[in-house]
Amino acid sequence: MEGPMSGKRWWRPATGTLRETLRPQGDVRARNASAWLPHVTRLRSDMRRFEDDDEVDMVVVGCGAGGATFTQRLAHAGWRVVCLEAGPFWDPEHDWVSDEAGSRHLYWNEPRVIGGSHPVPLGANNSGRGVGGSMVHFAGYTPRFHPSDFRTRSQDGVGADWPIRYEQLRPYYERLERELPVAGQYWPWGDPHPHPHAPHPVGGNGEVMLEGCARLGIRARVGPVAIANGRFGNRPHCIYRGFCLQGCKVDAKASPLITHVPDAITHGAEIRDGAMATRVVMDAAGRRATGVAYVREGRERVQRARAVAVAGYSIETPRLLLNSAGPGHPHGLANGHDLVGRYVMVQGAPQTAGRFPDEIRMYKAPPPEVSSEEFYETDPAKPYRRGFSIQTVSPLPITWAEHVAAQGHWGADLRSRMRDYVHWATLGALCEFLPQPDNRVTLADETDRLGLPVARFDHSQCANDDMLMEAAQKVMEDILRAAGAGELMTIGRYAHLVGGCRMGRNPEEGVVDSDLRTFAVPNLFITDGSVLPTQGSANPALTIMALADRAADRLVHGRVPEAPARKAARR
Amino acid sequence: MTARRGRAEPSSAKKGPLSQIPTWDAATGGVVLARLGPRPPLSFFTPAEEAAAGPLLDLLLARRHDDPPIPVLPVIDARLAAREFEGWRFADMPEDDEAWRRSLAALDEETKVRHDGRTFGQVTHGDRHRLLRHIQDLGSHDWYGMPAGHVWTLWSRYACTAYYAHPYAWEEIGFGGPAYPRGYLRLGRGTREPWESPPAEEPATETDC
Repeated sequence: MEGPMSGKRWWRPATGTLRETLRPQGDVRARNASAWLPHVTRLRSDMRRFEDDDEVDMVVVGCGAGGATFTQRLAHAGWRVVCLEAGPFWDPEHDWVSDEAGSRHLYWNEPRVIGGSHPVPLGANNSGRGVGGSMVHFAGYTPRFHPSDFRTRSQDGVGADWPIRYEQLRPYYERLERELPVAGQYWPWGDPHPHPHAPHPVGGNGEVMLEGCARLGIRARVGPVAIANGRFGNRPHCIYRGFCLQGCKVDAKASPLITHVPDAITHGAEIRDGAMATRVVMDAAGRRATGVAYVREGRERVQRARAVAVAGYSIETPRLLLNSAGPGHPHGLANGHDLVGRYVMVQGAPQTAGRFPDEIRMYKAPPPEVSSEEFYETDPAKPYRRGFSIQTVSPLPITWAEHVAAQGHWGADLRSRMRDYVHWATLGALCEFLPQPDNRVTLADETDRLGLPVARFDHSQCANDDMLMEAAQKVMEDILRAAGAGELMTIGRYAHLVGGCRMGRNPEEGVVDSDLRTFAVPNLFITDGSVLPTQGSANPALTIMALADRAADRLVHGRVPEAPARKAARR
Repeated sequence: MTARRGRAEPSSAKKGPLSQIPTWDAATGGVVLARLGPRPPLSFFTPAEEAAAGPLLDLLLARRHDDPPIPVLPVIDARLAAREFEGWRFADMPEDDEAWRRSLAALDEETKVRHDGRTFGQVTHGDRHRLLRHIQDLGSHDWYGMPAGHVWTLWSRYACTAYYAHPYAWEEIGFGGPAYPRGYLRLGRGTREPWESPPAEEPATETDC
């Protein structure tokens, strides 16, 4: 709760912010010059191309938050890297539009099956396809995880402890926040820290949340969002058009397409688009990976490599490993302990909207504006463990219509509520659902266009999950009422995906170790969100990038035991 | 634009999203303006399915004679013909195209049982309304081999996506539209850009079409 800051610490936010915003950017540019390079669309034409028979140092599958960051770091250190991406290499000016219905091509729309007692819709909700991955259309929220997220089992008796501590990830959080860059107020929760860019001005929806929280004494802050506030290198600032979820044509919002791919290309990496990986190729004994088989332009090919990193996210990564069964790996690659595809998590993301007599026009300004992590940690007074965060979300008309329709409204009722669109403000929660072994990805009986078995994702909630959803709804209703809302509407939904190939201390506990290397195959890595053992109540993008950054850092500095020896660049 | 019919001459073109067409980027303009143009003939729905889907969509969206001309059925038909699904299906439902065919057949079947062999398109507005309410009330119960709730969300998702993608619908609800590369300057409660218009007035009570 808001109150005078204790003792000598009152000046920390001010001096911390001052120090962060005044620091020179030379180290950022030396580490990753993406923002200062020509636009990625221009760089692409001169991109280096490898032959399938070139044995590259690393082939990465997937060019999203994890895969692109990993690729850039290795390429920057002189490794020869090919990154296979199933979707297109986007040109934001021509391929993206400021329109909801016209942006369906940003999602993974291939067939997938969802089941369980609480099935989770995929597609637009939590998938991406194309260079930049789902960060192309993520809202932009980039909070860090809290230190407590790394030891929920020992601290709260639920979830799992990570094989690393928060402190081991902190330097990577810091440098990525500077590369994206992240804008927002000084962050008072978890490990308190400043952000490199100042907070953005807020629109009507953000004003509602700030006002409601202030009346109730709940701390709320503007940010943190990976949207440049002011020029950053050659990247322009945000223009507040509100279409963050349709891909940022402005190039103000971060996605790996503009934050890491440009530097990767200038350091000799190849981003091979339209390349759908079909299996990881192993040597005859099934001991080491020798490359990745993929389909491009209708032809099956194999890219040879000394090491392989899979970064297809929580659905496609398990699917690829399960589809790669072979000698020594009868139940799928790295699946000797039946862990591949298990412990997939989504956050419970109820959305509560309130109607106000004045016009809110929540579609103006970025949907991610204001958030609160006041309810993030376990409260011993509550019957549930762990918690939730609250953030502004600002659905555009089609998403808003689905929100209204999900309440059971249809016909004249639906049309009349829709006509009221400009009067509504909307908040969303992220509830930390607990990892469960039966929330898992398996292979369905049906196949896709390429003849590969499609993924099936089963999901059910546990009692703790249900209680969090209820508690979060109550808080959001209180905030909206305190800000002056009349009628309220809440729908249940889910957000984000993590887990499915969790990291652990040993092969019984996880698919990969803390260096993101699989226990089963010494030259096979998994560098995406599927390695997270728990998910906190934070949006996962920054943490996925930080984990990939750390793994790459340790690899290029030879700190991963038995890692494939670094080869000098042959450029 | 010349006057079309009835009350809704959506674009006074002085305010609202359509007044901003010249400020849109080419890629966005191409996608959005295509919705104002002619549509190809139906290719997915059979005549019997079309006869059921038309009144179903009219009811779900409470279409009126004086509504702006927003195509819904042809848009859904084109989408299903192109197999533009959503990247997932419930394990207890067929793929979306098959689910539409089966649910429209079921709609006729259920109407025939209740109304002496007449199809959904042949009964009165009130009968259709009661039937839909009944299906909605079934919730997760089975309805002709599919959970009624999953059929209901299939219908309403496709209907809402088609209707609220149209610029005339944006004018109806007061949405500003693409705003790129222009962006928004006036953020905050109770503020409007000079070109933003308030939502359309609630129409007087009248029977739906």
